[in-house]
Amino acid sequence: MSVGLAIEAKGLFKSFDGKPAVRGIDVAVPEGSIYGILGPNGAGKTTTLRMLLGIIEPDQGWRSLLGHERPLEAASIVGYLPEERGLYPAMTTREAVAFMGALRGLPLEIGRKRAAILLEQNGLGDYVDKPIKSLSKGMAQTIQLFGTIVHKPKLVVLDEPFSGLDAINQGRLEHLIRDEAASGTTVIFSTHVIHHAERLCERIAIIADGQIRFEGLVAAARDRLRPQVRLKTRMAEGKWRAALPAATRLDGGYWHFELPRGGIEPLLKALIDGGAGIEELSIERSGLHDAFVAIAGEQAAKELEADMQADLGEAA
Amino acid sequence: MMSLFEAAWVIARRDFVAQVYSRSFILFLLAPLLLFAFAFFVGTMADNSDRLANQPVVALVTDGGTAEALAAARARLVGGTSELAFPVLRRVPPAENVAVQARALLANEDEGYSAVLSGTLARPVLTGPLRVDESSGPRVMLIVDAARRTAALEAAGVSAAGAPLVRDVTDQAAGNLQMLRRVIAQGGQGLIFVVTLMLATLLLSTLVEEKSNKVIEVLAAAVPLDAVFLGKLIAMLGISLVGLALWAGMLALGYTFVQILQDWVTVPDVAPAVGWPIWIVLLLLYYTANFMLLGALFLGIGGQATNIREIQTISMPVTLLQLMVLLLAMTVVGGEGGAAVWTAYILPFSSPLAMVAHAAQYEALWPHLLALAWQAVWIVLIIRLSARLFRTTVLKSTPGGSFFGFPRFGRGRTESV
Repeated sequence: MSVGLAIEAKGLFKSFDGKPAVRGIDVAVPEGSIYGILGPNGAGKTTTLRMLLGIIEPDQGWRSLLGHERPLEAASIVGYLPEERGLYPAMTTREAVAFMGALRGLPLEIGRKRAAILLEQNGLGDYVDKPIKSLSKGMAQTIQLFGTIVHKPKLVVLDEPFSGLDAINQGRLEHLIRDEAASGTTVIFSTHVIHHAERLCERIAIIADGQIRFEGLVAAARDRLRPQVRLKTRMAEGKWRAALPAATRLDGGYWHFELPRGGIEPLLKALIDGGAGIEELSIERSGLHDAFVAIAGEQAAKELEADMQADLGEAA
Repeated sequence: MMSLFEAAWVIARRDFVAQVYSRSFILFLLAPLLLFAFAFFVGTMADNSDRLANQPVVALVTDGGTAEALAAARARLVGGTSELAFPVLRRVPPAENVAVQARALLANEDEGYSAVLSGTLARPVLTGPLRVDESSGPRVMLIVDAARRTAALEAAGVSAAGAPLVRDVTDQAAGNLQMLRRVIAQGGQGLIFVVTLMLATLLLSTLVEEKSNKVIEVLAAAVPLDAVFLGKLIAMLGISLVGLALWAGMLALGYTFVQILQDWVTVPDVAPAVGWPIWIVLLLLYYTANFMLLGALFLGIGGQATNIREIQTISMPVTLLQLMVLLLAMTVVGGEGGAAVWTAYILPFSSPLAMVAHAAQYEALWPHLLALAWQAVWIVLIIRLSARLFRTTVLKSTPGGSFFGFPRFGRGRTESV
């Protein structure tokens, strides 16, 4: 077991009917972190998670889940919310949550009590004895999430947890993920929505076409791109123009260029000495979206955008 | 640590409760009642239609004395056999020309005569098509012969009544005992077969629910598929045992009620070779084994289906398979050995049915220990095979782990609310 890692995987490879779905994936998820796997649909996120959990076996590679090379051995301290939500429609919400806990070794009686508490705490107390089939999709999804955490796991794995949720439920879910992490639980989730990963995660893996293109801190992903400088000057021409980088472009009255390697100070001095007349100057750090485009490529970014639009449509 | 059986118990408990509290469970409990009602209805209808349509009617165109002698002879013969064994004799007063009358009677569609018997006991004449010689003709001749013998005896001054029978009553007769034990053997086989048949479609479709609800992914991530399969089998077994207990209780109540109405209580004087208590225990054990063996196979097959329509398509060959197994096992009843009998004992799917029949006919108990152990091994093998097949074809995964290695997966935490 690698000390401090909730999940570790090396060289995971999986193909279906001869077609590679995941090609040599390495993952290292630190204990207690919120970790995101970001990529468009079909990139291999779900297959990776299912291999990590032991639902399917990799064709090649090695993985360890909370120190267990056979993931089912850690089943009682892992919670999993699959991409395709699954609940028995006739079960009551309390029984559904307790049953999912029982599958992970939690005694039914305790599961029922905790289910009632979870439902009460989240404003769903009136639904304790209501059957799943009578709930809205968002509510049912929330119930399944409670079932994922009812046994107080050390690791929570969520596959596209925000998919199909409206803004209110998305906010509730973000809150819940942060709470879990605050209590020391490791949370790993897959998503094709960049801002969820950006807001929640300390570390991410960017996956495209079955391969990890980036794995590390969110800040490190952003740092793949130089910060962008936006400058507005009173004067249009002057000797100071020579100080601007070669790839500078003028757009809407603003000069746009990457922050020079030497920093902003030499440029500022040249602008002031050259009489450019600085009206506005801002240095903007790259967002994760720009980093994603730079790392995964335009095509993957377009697919990601399409998935997000489809998701918005579904939630609406 | 949570064992395979603990995990299976979680699945079993959920399935059992869900099934017992469903409306379809009432239908399941009523199924045997409907089956008996259907059988009774069909039997009664068939019986009536046989009587009405299939029993030949022969016109008796004779003088009164001959007609009476023939009617008396028929009544004696029917008394020892059955009403249906001999053609109905219907007297028609003779006309001047009997030959012409006979043809007219046979041509009359409203009366529906198969043949016409005329003449005397000394010289009977049977008029009718050639077919009569192979059907009612020989039986009409038996009646005529019986009447003639009676007439001859009475003419000689000897009573035609049968000799008085002296009955010496014994506890048993070997031939009788064997025959009744064969009936018990067939009854045991029939019971196991019918209950398993009723549950076959339920077993085939049980995984379709998890697949359509997407619950299978939740289950597969938490417990080994072997535990899922085993749990589902245990639940269905529990459901069927509830049904069996209810039906057996109702039968026992009904039997006792009838006995009380008749003001006396009897228990059957024939017991299976191993005795009733052991046979009933063995019946339950073999029922369980048969259910688990076929159930594991059906779960494996049904797990491949994606919807109920596919299940319906699979159901027919599965029923035929069950029938073939029953037919093979039936060779054990009264069979003295031979390849078919040994195949029935050894083949895992027919072994429980064959052995329950064996218990009814033979006293030795050790073959049952051997057979139950043999069947248990196959139950484990088939569950493992079905689970691996499901993992490979449905979850699109390599099976993972050794075929003979049993997973343990841990909890190791004390829980509080």
